[in-house]
Amino acid sequence: MASISIQHLYKRYGKEKQPVVSDFHLDIEDKEFLVFVGPSGCGKSTTLRMIAGLEDISEGEVYIGSQLVNHLPPKDRDIAMVFQNYALYPNMSVYENIAFGLRLRKQPRHEIDLAVRRAARVLEIEPYLNRKPKELSGGQRQRVALGRAIVRNPSVFLMDEPLSNLDAKLRVQMRMELIHLHKTLGATFIYVTHDQIEAMTMADRIVVMKDGVIQQIGTPEAVYMTPSNRFVASFIGSPGINFIEGKITDGPDGRLHFTTNRFSLPVAKDTAEMLKRHNKVDRRVTLGVRPEHVGPEGLYSESVFTAVFKVSELMGADRFLHLDIGQDRLLVARVDAHYRCEENERLRIVIDMSKALFFEPDSGERLA
Amino acid sequence: MLHFLWKRRRSKLNRMDGFQKLLTLLLSVLAVFMLLPIVYIFNHAFKPYHELFVYPPTFFVREPSFQNVNELLAVTSRSTVPMIRYLFNSVFVSTLAVILVTGISALCAYPLSKHRFPGAGFVFAAILLTLMFAPEVVQIPRYLVVSELGIMNTYFAHLLPLIAMPIGVFLLKQFMDQIPDSLLEAARIDGASEFTVFLRIAVPVCMPAIATVAILAFQNAWGNVETSSLFMFDEEMKTFSFFLSTLTSNLANNVAMQGAAAAAALIMFVPNLVVFVILQGKVIATMAHSGIK
Repeated sequence: MASISIQHLYKRYGKEKQPVVSDFHLDIEDKEFLVFVGPSGCGKSTTLRMIAGLEDISEGEVYIGSQLVNHLPPKDRDIAMVFQNYALYPNMSVYENIAFGLRLRKQPRHEIDLAVRRAARVLEIEPYLNRKPKELSGGQRQRVALGRAIVRNPSVFLMDEPLSNLDAKLRVQMRMELIHLHKTLGATFIYVTHDQIEAMTMADRIVVMKDGVIQQIGTPEAVYMTPSNRFVASFIGSPGINFIEGKITDGPDGRLHFTTNRFSLPVAKDTAEMLKRHNKVDRRVTLGVRPEHVGPEGLYSESVFTAVFKVSELMGADRFLHLDIGQDRLLVARVDAHYRCEENERLRIVIDMSKALFFEPDSGERLA
Repeated sequence: MLHFLWKRRRSKLNRMDGFQKLLTLLLSVLAVFMLLPIVYIFNHAFKPYHELFVYPPTFFVREPSFQNVNELLAVTSRSTVPMIRYLFNSVFVSTLAVILVTGISALCAYPLSKHRFPGAGFVFAAILLTLMFAPEVVQIPRYLVVSELGIMNTYFAHLLPLIAMPIGVFLLKQFMDQIPDSLLEAARIDGASEFTVFLRIAVPVCMPAIATVAILAFQNAWGNVETSSLFMFDEEMKTFSFFLSTLTSNLANNVAMQGAAAAAALIMFVPNLVVFVILQGKVIATMAHSGIK
């Protein structure tokens, strides 16, 4: 089993000046489940492929265990990879697909047979061992791809959006199975996805990336509750966080207020001190508030303002209200599914200001 | 059965619209037209002499006989070298040519398609350029090359002009372009060397294209008379197609031997047909995407 150390990694294509991956620096612990998440084209797959040895490293170093692997071919890195399109060998049966890696490593025939059957049992694909990949459904192919990875018992698993070709229900099921697999195998997992829900549900730590640069590294809780900047805050969480532009002012009651043209909300005590420390009084800031911290009056005593109800989305247990707060800005609130209101009704809305986040309006950095 | 077909046709999903009907009709007519020479070859070979020279010529044989085949056998038994020797040469050269052409074309197409190296574009452009030359143009330089290499009158001279087949490289390269890179990467991570990736993954996935190239290579080699007439001095080194062409070459206004020529034409044609029928299933079968969603 192995930890991975990635030191100031860069990837440039040809003579382009702008690197695709820029100063990627990260230590991954042994047996960790790490998820790279970010919008498409953010360099997460490229980073994974550099760890796998499928892309050349332009600058920087990658260590697996204590060994520098920059110039090691993929087969000598003790890794397995699961691809988005599964990449099953179409000319071989499921059995041969899983056994291929072991055969190339010249393992004895009976050991291969044992290993393939054990992997097939774990993944419940035993009945399909003699079929060709094209005779399998998407979920079954996914399991074969996983089987091909686990049968070699590598110390690192690399997964490049392995669930994105599955339907929604199967994806949820496979997510749980992957978590279970990670616990049973006790190997290091690096998982690439653009789906923040996958990242939140599976990761020990999340690496949020944008334009080839790491935005934040942290546990799912940390990334969700204390995002380092506006990008992370908006990328993680569904529905997305609400941003409101405004100004910090001294209120008549002697407390700091977050003020817009339409309303003024008192800032919580701790936050007020932080804002003073950053010298933000009478300056512009961006307020970030998660939909679950916005709701109809009655939840929180202070910080009430009015908004016009526009649309509601019922999600089963929750209902998302889209509220017009003036100047063509919509605020999303997460409320109980039983909540009812009329279209264009004026609602008294409260925000839990103790959970509010403040960001620099220009750089987007969170004030902390 | 007819009722079932009728019902099927009536189903709205399967019903052809006017344009499709027109296309089907046109293509059917074209297919029959393309089939005519083949039907003619088969019928002609079994026509007795009085039918061969009937005016106006008939398409179908009325009194089939083996007279022509017997004549051909009689002619060949009079030749200095037994026919079996010509046949051996042809089979030997054609088999080797198919193996070498498919092998070399695939080995050439794989790096052009799946590896980036300096000059790849130039190499591919050069290969495509050679497609533009008519075979007659290169006959003299080819003779010089073969003669300078000192391989005249050997099997190498039969094979050398055939094994570089630009159209084969082109077909295989285009086909390999469709193989997802992740398939090859998965194999590399599984521990395969580059040659194993080529042999165990790329080649099996490209089987349809390889079958197509094999058909072309076989037809090219089987019907080839050029190498026998230019590079071979000894009769026992020449191929069957050359031998048959000598039988039929001076027959323009001749009555004698027309029957043998008709039988020879059939014998030359049948292997082409057999190879095509065997391999055509492959051509239509497995696509590179079958293991990929």
